[in-house]
Amino acid sequence: MNHPEDDIQQAVPLSQHLALVARMAQEFATSLDIEETLNNATKQMMETMHAEAASIFLLDNNDTELVCRTCAGPIQLTGLRLAANHGIIGNAVKNNTVQMVLDVSKDPDFTAQVDEQTGFTTRSILCAPLTIKDKKLGAIELINKNTDDGLFVEDDQHILTALAAAAALAIHNAAMASALVEQERIQHELELAREIQANLLPVAEADDFPVHGYNLPMREVSGDFYDYFSLPDGRIVFNLADVSGKGMNASLLMAKTSSLFHCLGKTQSSPGQLMSMINNEVHENSTRGMFVTMVGGIFDPASNQVVLANAGHQPPMLQYADGRFEDIIGQSPPLGIVPNIEFPETTLQLDDGSLYIYTDGVTESQQNGKMLGEAGFQSMINAHRDKPVTARIKAMFESLQREDRELHDDVTVLVIENKTLTPSLTLNVPAKANYIKELRDSTRGMLQAAGSTKEQIDSITLVISEAASNIIQHAYKGNEGDIELNIHVDSYASPPQLVINLRDYAETIDISEIRSRALDDVRPGGLGVHFMKQLMDNLVYTVPEDGRGNRLEMRITIK
Amino acid sequence: MTKDTDSPVKFEIDDEQGYLIVRFSGEIDLYGTPHAREVILNCIKSDRSTVIDLSAVTYIDSSGVASLVEGYQLAKNNNLEFGLVNISDAVLSVLQLAHLDKVFSIHSSLDERIQAS
Repeated sequence: MNHPEDDIQQAVPLSQHLALVARMAQEFATSLDIEETLNNATKQMMETMHAEAASIFLLDNNDTELVCRTCAGPIQLTGLRLAANHGIIGNAVKNNTVQMVLDVSKDPDFTAQVDEQTGFTTRSILCAPLTIKDKKLGAIELINKNTDDGLFVEDDQHILTALAAAAALAIHNAAMASALVEQERIQHELELAREIQANLLPVAEADDFPVHGYNLPMREVSGDFYDYFSLPDGRIVFNLADVSGKGMNASLLMAKTSSLFHCLGKTQSSPGQLMSMINNEVHENSTRGMFVTMVGGIFDPASNQVVLANAGHQPPMLQYADGRFEDIIGQSPPLGIVPNIEFPETTLQLDDGSLYIYTDGVTESQQNGKMLGEAGFQSMINAHRDKPVTARIKAMFESLQREDRELHDDVTVLVIENKTLTPSLTLNVPAKANYIKELRDSTRGMLQAAGSTKEQIDSITLVISEAASNIIQHAYKGNEGDIELNIHVDSYASPPQLVINLRDYAETIDISEIRSRALDDVRPGGLGVHFMKQLMDNLVYTVPEDGRGNRLEMRITIK
Repeated sequence: MTKDTDSPVKFEIDDEQGYLIVRFSGEIDLYGTPHAREVILNCIKSDRSTVIDLSAVTYIDSSGVASLVEGYQLAKNNNLEFGLVNISDAVLSVLQLAHLDKVFSIHSSLDERIQAS
């Protein structure tokens, strides 16, 4: 067989084959349209390798079937499905080996099923598996060599193996790309879902509105929600709920329950009956044991009363004006579990207290492996309790999101309070003598509006001027900087106090050096601190939490 | 009569019955004090007994009070008279707070001061 003519005859097709391998490998690598590339490749393989037909089969249906993705030749096989473990192509995939069958009539694995259906006569088959690492994708199959003897040779086997490797990589990359597109689509849809969910939450109201809430989802979508809206008679319907489970199904149940509440709550003002109706609705269509815990109620600003019902949610906490906390215990099961039950109502006199309704994401947040718990949450509330409600909620969520804290669940807090309106003022001015008047004028305006006595207004404006003068002269020492003034009421103090805070960002001063002079020593200077001590009930210098500058807190009983 | 219109603290100086009488108006705080202090000390340095009319001063803080104390001390050391007349309630309450209402000689007007002496 090793005649020189034979070698020459072989050399031409081999170089053609190598060119084919190179061209196809490049096409596969750069292809943006995998379908078209595979179509072209199949056709070129058939022509260059002198086969009568060529096809690519890929595993499908959990790898139980091989489906023809593309083919070239007299018979159209695209879409044809074969059992994955069947026939010669099945062997190629299963054993991850090239199958070369020179005479199919003598091969026990050959199934004539396709030939019978198509009228085509298969004589010989060359079939190479498509794999990436250990992952089986399918196989390339060539049918009937177009030469005189109609036989595939060993070189054909090598060439097809090389082509199969390039094709497998292209198919794999295309699958990855489409998975990525799919992932991006899902991400986009989650973002839309999050947007829709966020729109289900009520718009934040000003500080004088009695109900405020905040939701921090842990994923794109949340299983928590809250809502509040005013009725024409001035009463405010509110709820906070936590859907069992997380992710998309929880968020869909959340959307449904919140819509039910928002719609039915406009006409049914008994929280217990409202929750019975929602319970039955959720139960009718609840899937796979999902349920909703909810505190729902109605607040009447005129009587300062809250009527609420609790469906399996953790007890809300009522903080009385004197600072005491009480859990408002309920005994009903969550919504969606038992149909046709009643949800008993509890009536609370809110007065100057605050009702905190929250999800367990708050109390189960962890710091150094330790859960915050109810006591920890109460401490957190107390740390910010003399802040107005929106600032308090903001401060609490900032604490919860501190780096050393771990949140494992959606966190939602709803606060109901209707305290007597308290004056407050926050002002930031440059540390320059000509800005002291601005501090004085703003303070006077605020206190006059709040109905303070002239004597008290004069005292407070004087101490603020003195404190600001000291900051300019002794803290900043003439350098540039800011002075922050905050005045608010501590309504928990008994009797209530006005709290005046002045803060600077200068170097921290040695507190022991601040003293007033003896008054019998008639000389200029040193009077300012004497004025402050004389006029205020209490005066404390501290270093602010962020460790910068100085803070002076002065308190005076409100007259 | 001297006038100053650029300062946050306005003043007029008149020469009446042997005294320089300085009529301040506005708010005397850290911003206005350096100017008010200069006016007071210049009057005394010109070797004249000086009376400060505080009727139009709506606010004074410890720095303003300190300049009055300086004027008082400089006058005393130079055997000159220094007094306050016609002071507003706002100023009086701050002087009381500083326990200086008994240190300064305070009269309702320049005439009353002359009659009292």
